[in-house]
Amino acid sequence: MTLAPDVAGRLAIPSLIDEATVEAIAGEAWIALVGEDEVLVPLPGDLPEDTLSAWVDVVGPWTGSVVLTTGRQTAAELTRALLAEAAPELLDHEDVADAFGEIANVVGGNVKAALPGPSTLGLPEVGPAPAVRNPEDVCRIEVLWRGQPLVVSVQGALPSLPVPHDQHQHPHQNGASQ
Amino acid sequence: MKILVADDSRVMRQIVIRTLRQAGYDDHDIVEAEDGRDAYDKVHAENPDLVLSDWNMPNMSGLECLQALRSAGSAVPFGFVTSEGSAEMRDKASAAGALFLIAKPFTEETFRENLDGVIA
Repeated sequence: MTLAPDVAGRLAIPSLIDEATVEAIAGEAWIALVGEDEVLVPLPGDLPEDTLSAWVDVVGPWTGSVVLTTGRQTAAELTRALLAEAAPELLDHEDVADAFGEIANVVGGNVKAALPGPSTLGLPEVGPAPAVRNPEDVCRIEVLWRGQPLVVSVQGALPSLPVPHDQHQHPHQNGASQ
Repeated sequence: MKILVADDSRVMRQIVIRTLRQAGYDDHDIVEAEDGRDAYDKVHAENPDLVLSDWNMPNMSGLECLQALRSAGSAVPFGFVTSEGSAEMRDKASAAGALFLIAKPFTEETFRENLDGVIA
């Protein structure tokens, strides 16, 4: 693996972590939290139009987000699987934001531990996927869970996109942004 | 024995409580707290025998809660259950007086390894 700093001297994510590591981290999280038979199959799939993302930010020598994206229905199914017998008959958005955000938190925390430190981990956020800011600073895997597509994207936050300050929205502190 | 489980995620509190049960610690009273501040208050109100706390929480982090408890003279046994299990975090946890740090994702075996001897 070569360490290739970008123009500003920062290390881009492909030189810090590879797809196999991200896949192993996500796979371990699924087996431990969702269930021992809940395997992530390393195959790409077409995400449906109605998707939901959950992510945590990492701030340190490498700064960016660990973003999980899947169909909204799959996020709801994941919530039921995580809650198991504690799942309510009717899930509301808060349940899904909590469950999907928490699994992003576990995957993100383990990705952070594999990156150079010291760095800090933000609280999970849930909503539309944050934009990819630099296509060279992305490590992305596509897997299937129960036959449904899921994408894990470890993506750099810099350089910032030219978004005017007055349009910037800070998502809900504890997960739900909508 | 009373165990206080602190995590801002309700789902994760459920998973921690379920894992305690699966690990064989199924006859204890469980109290839940939704952030570090709530955990701090409930340690005083409920007098638990053990605190299992997330690290990264709004209002007051698990580390701040532990530091506040120790400053206030509480010696309640305290362990972290967190998604961040780096050596740096383990050192910080230990320096603040935590007994152990269980990294998420965890298994019932991880719980037994850390809790045997702490939970009677």
